[in-house]
Amino acid sequence: MNFPDLNKQFYHLVAPDIPNDWEVEELLEPYLDQSDEVCQEVFKCIPAIWPISSSLCCDFLRIMPETLKILPLSQLSTWVGEILDRYELDGLRAAQRLMRNVESGYMNRSNAGLVLLGEVEGRLLTFIRGVAGRDLFIAPGNAVFTDTETIFLPPELAVFSASADNVLLYKLILAFQWAYIANGSFTLPDPVTQEPLVDSESSLWLNTFFASFSQPLFARDCYFFLETVRAARFLEQELPGLMRAWAKLPCFVLPGVEDKNISPQAAFLSDLQLRFLNGSLLEASREEPLPLLKDYWHRLLGEGVNGMDTVAAVKAICAAHAPHEAEGEEYEGITPLLFQGEIRLSAVEAVHRQRFLRQGEELVHSLALHLASLPKEQLEQLLRSEEEKENGATGLESDVTMIMDSEFAGTAAEPQAPLLITINNEEVRLGEEVAEQVRQFHDEFGHLPGRFLSSAVGRAGKGLAPDAHPGPEQGEELQAPICYDEWDHRRKGFRKNWCMVTIKELPDLRSGFIRQTLGKYHGVVNRLRHQFEMMRTSDRFARRQRDGDDIDLDALVESLADGRAGLPSSDRLFIKLLRDERDIAVVFLIDMSNSTAGWVGNAIKESLVLMTEALEVLGDRYAIYGFSGMRRTRCELFRIKEFGEPYGERVRERIGAISPMEYTRMGPAIRHATSLLAKTDARVRLLITLSDGKPEDYDDYKGEYAIEDTRHALLEAKMAGIHPFCITIDHQAHDYMDHLYGPVNYIFVNDVRKLPMRMPEIYRVLTT
Amino acid sequence: MDGANIPLDEHRIVEKPYYLAQGSEVEIACAAYRSGLPLLLKGPTGCGKTRFMQYLAWKLDRPLITVSCHDDLSTSDLVGRYLIRAGEAVWMDGPLTLAVRAGAICYLDEVVEARKDTTVVIHPLADDRRELPIEKRGELLIAPPEFMLAVSYNPGYQSVLKDLKPSTRQRFVALSFNYPELEQEVDIVCQEGGLERDLALSLVKLAVMTRNLKDSGLPEGASTRLLIQAGKLIGDGVDIQTACRVAVVEPLSDDPEMLAAVEDMVGSIF
Ligand SMILES: Nc1ncnc2c1ncn2[C@@H]1O[C@H](COP(=O)(O)OP(=O)(O)OP(=O)(O)O)[C@@H](O)[C@H]1O
Ligand SMILES: [Mg+2]
Repeated sequence: MNFPDLNKQFYHLVAPDIPNDWEVEELLEPYLDQSDEVCQEVFKCIPAIWPISSSLCCDFLRIMPETLKILPLSQLSTWVGEILDRYELDGLRAAQRLMRNVESGYMNRSNAGLVLLGEVEGRLLTFIRGVAGRDLFIAPGNAVFTDTETIFLPPELAVFSASADNVLLYKLILAFQWAYIANGSFTLPDPVTQEPLVDSESSLWLNTFFASFSQPLFARDCYFFLETVRAARFLEQELPGLMRAWAKLPCFVLPGVEDKNISPQAAFLSDLQLRFLNGSLLEASREEPLPLLKDYWHRLLGEGVNGMDTVAAVKAICAAHAPHEAEGEEYEGITPLLFQGEIRLSAVEAVHRQRFLRQGEELVHSLALHLASLPKEQLEQLLRSEEEKENGATGLESDVTMIMDSEFAGTAAEPQAPLLITINNEEVRLGEEVAEQVRQFHDEFGHLPGRFLSSAVGRAGKGLAPDAHPGPEQGEELQAPICYDEWDHRRKGFRKNWCMVTIKELPDLRSGFIRQTLGKYHGVVNRLRHQFEMMRTSDRFARRQRDGDDIDLDALVESLADGRAGLPSSDRLFIKLLRDERDIAVVFLIDMSNSTAGWVGNAIKESLVLMTEALEVLGDRYAIYGFSGMRRTRCELFRIKEFGEPYGERVRERIGAISPMEYTRMGPAIRHATSLLAKTDARVRLLITLSDGKPEDYDDYKGEYAIEDTRHALLEAKMAGIHPFCITIDHQAHDYMDHLYGPVNYIFVNDVRKLPMRMPEIYRVLTT
Repeated sequence: MDGANIPLDEHRIVEKPYYLAQGSEVEIACAAYRSGLPLLLKGPTGCGKTRFMQYLAWKLDRPLITVSCHDDLSTSDLVGRYLIRAGEAVWMDGPLTLAVRAGAICYLDEVVEARKDTTVVIHPLADDRRELPIEKRGELLIAPPEFMLAVSYNPGYQSVLKDLKPSTRQRFVALSFNYPELEQEVDIVCQEGGLERDLALSLVKLAVMTRNLKDSGLPEGASTRLLIQAGKLIGDGVDIQTACRVAVVEPLSDDPEMLAAVEDMVGSIF
């Protein structure tokens, strides 16, 4: 290619940026000798890299001519993909390094026992959830650490030459991170107040503890190391097999202490690390070397130690290793062990804060709803005292006192929910569910901030003022809006014609979604078809028929015997092969609220594709509707497939067009589906909701109110002879699901990637 | 005829079965027996429902007649029919009739599997009438006080086509079974599987881990029964890992990812 062409093409690709002429010239020069094919392939990557980092892209262009001597052109795009992934995770430097090491970093590793997290994630996730008994998450990260909800792991491991060993290392990392969580290593409470956080919303006590030393970093590393030894001890008891397998692993490469001039503190810790890895730490310490920790080791091996013991040990170490002014050497930190990872208190705090905010918000909502249902005089009294507070000098927050059930009942064995709270001396009696919520909040966070009460009172005071709110035009309306009642649990009555449901058509959207999904799940689809075909032909022999394919010997003998016994003998003497009519009609209600954006939404769509494939084979009648909306005046149902509509290109396109929209007002959607099902004459009528969380709308359709309305809508469905069932994709099981559906009528799928495979399976079990 | 004295020796449980009570279920069942009320046992598979019935039968000193229900079970299979013997028509009592006559305990296992028209024959027996009409013989059997009816089913999430009708459910005193508490389950696995305590504890820990996977795609985790079976294999010399694989891991699921994860748990525990 000639220079002007290359130059023009390049500027076109990076527009609207206009890089320096001379720089571009330098970059493009080597390409003058390259074949057209190479130029085209390399240039194709520019639009992917440039917008992310122009300097990475320049680097890329610079090294490409050399790199292509090693890297086959066909692998170029995969390789670029990995470099960009690395950039996202670890930044420019790491990406450049990976790019330069094409030989060792990319080409040679296929045979080096490399394990990619993506390949084993599902298995690891199931493993750690089973082990931990709680819903932990796994995510790739640039360092190993945990925020107590998610464990971050290296995106790939190639420490050992056998892949099985690298998988083991993943499990070991997981186990240690879980041990820290289970032992409460990061959430050690303040010894005085017994709260893990110094003030409930911000800083962990451990931060304060480390900061109290002249060398906080050293104190932190000592603490973390000792907690790691404690974790190892814990794991020896909980997962002895894993710990034994660990001991058998080829020798661990230690981060290496080449620097001879390290501070005495670092030398001390490195030595401990080394001995810990050799397994000689605990053994040797039985005899002598560490008088400082003698007692600690002794107890660790015996009855065990807790976090406070570690705190004491850290104090002792730091006192003994106080820096000598004369030497002037600062502790510079040591490299943590690979499975140990890093201690990131800020991440733990962030998770804590998030939970606090989320649960606080839910609590305020429930409280506001509860307060709004109080007698008018009482609410007004509350509002008045709240106002006085704001103007007066008695402090900004409401005074809250909780009066616990136990103070009446006297049994303190069970955790008790408060019966009453007093807000500014005004007694408020709580409903059972709010009380439980208050208790859980109090248990987790140690107190109930008065300002929650203030805002709850404020919100209750504003009342429930629903208003019309026109939303963005999405899809074409198919018929006039239909009105449905809504259940108001506070009044134990319906709000008449409260919600307006419009049925809409999804906007046309041609996409390759269905084709891709069918390709991706090719094998699964075939297996499903086969499975569902078997269900369809559930032939059954009906005995004792008047006519049929064969003689029913049992019936014949019985009839003869009856005859002898002087009874009228039966003429039902045949066996008939009956094809069991599967007389089932099902409506799928698909949550299209904005929380389903991304992964969840995709999984839902994929599940629908597999489900429809299976249902087509089965021949059950089915309809699919998506629901979303904003406020009671605009509840929207998107028709994806109605009863009787053939499954064709249109339906497929509509499934592909499902996309996250607004809120989740479940009640009206369920009521409409109920009315659709009630019109069918099927013997079994099913309503399957696919959702990712709580019913919730923009207005006051939240918390208890929303749950109670949804529950009532489900009860109405049950009374109409319909079986409601819910498939929920959520981080964790919520108690309200039992309340909504009854314990066996819903299922959690906590790993969204599994949903497409699980859904047809769930349907199969439900209907056989 | 005074039924309560018909000997049903083969149905008598002579030796005290090993049963570790999980709560007050034994007392409640005895009280129900004294008041002539039928029992409904619910719980996941392999958690001791059958064993409980054996224990109860032994304690009450009544014969135990168990019928495993399936969808081809007809009313005559339960009540009885005429047979021809040597040219003569002879009436044969079905297991239910037999139990009523003999004042035995009749236990219908997995009652939801039976067809709905079959389940209704137990209705008059299961309420305060306590009677069993045998249409073919024009006979109405009144159950003696010694007779007891018990049914069981597994309420884990299941087909909407198979549920007990409210009119059936609401005749029973219901006892809910679940896997025993950790310590108790260890005792049971020790006793029944013939294992050392440490090993039994590890097995139970494994089971608890699998039961944590309810929301991860394993509706029912490993049951006590599976642990006992693993224990028996180990006792017979099968090595622990293999015993766990064939007796605990493989029976749980066919999903390769799930199997790998549960194998990982086995490897981590033992
Ligand atoms: N509480 C218990 N005491 C003694 N043994 C028990 C107890 N619970 C379970 N077992 C043991 O577990 C095994 C399985 O229990 P059992 O056969 O009674 O289960 P089940 O509830 O009837 O299961 P299924 O619903 O599958 O029939 C028994 O053989 C017994 O050894
Ligand atoms: Mg049984």
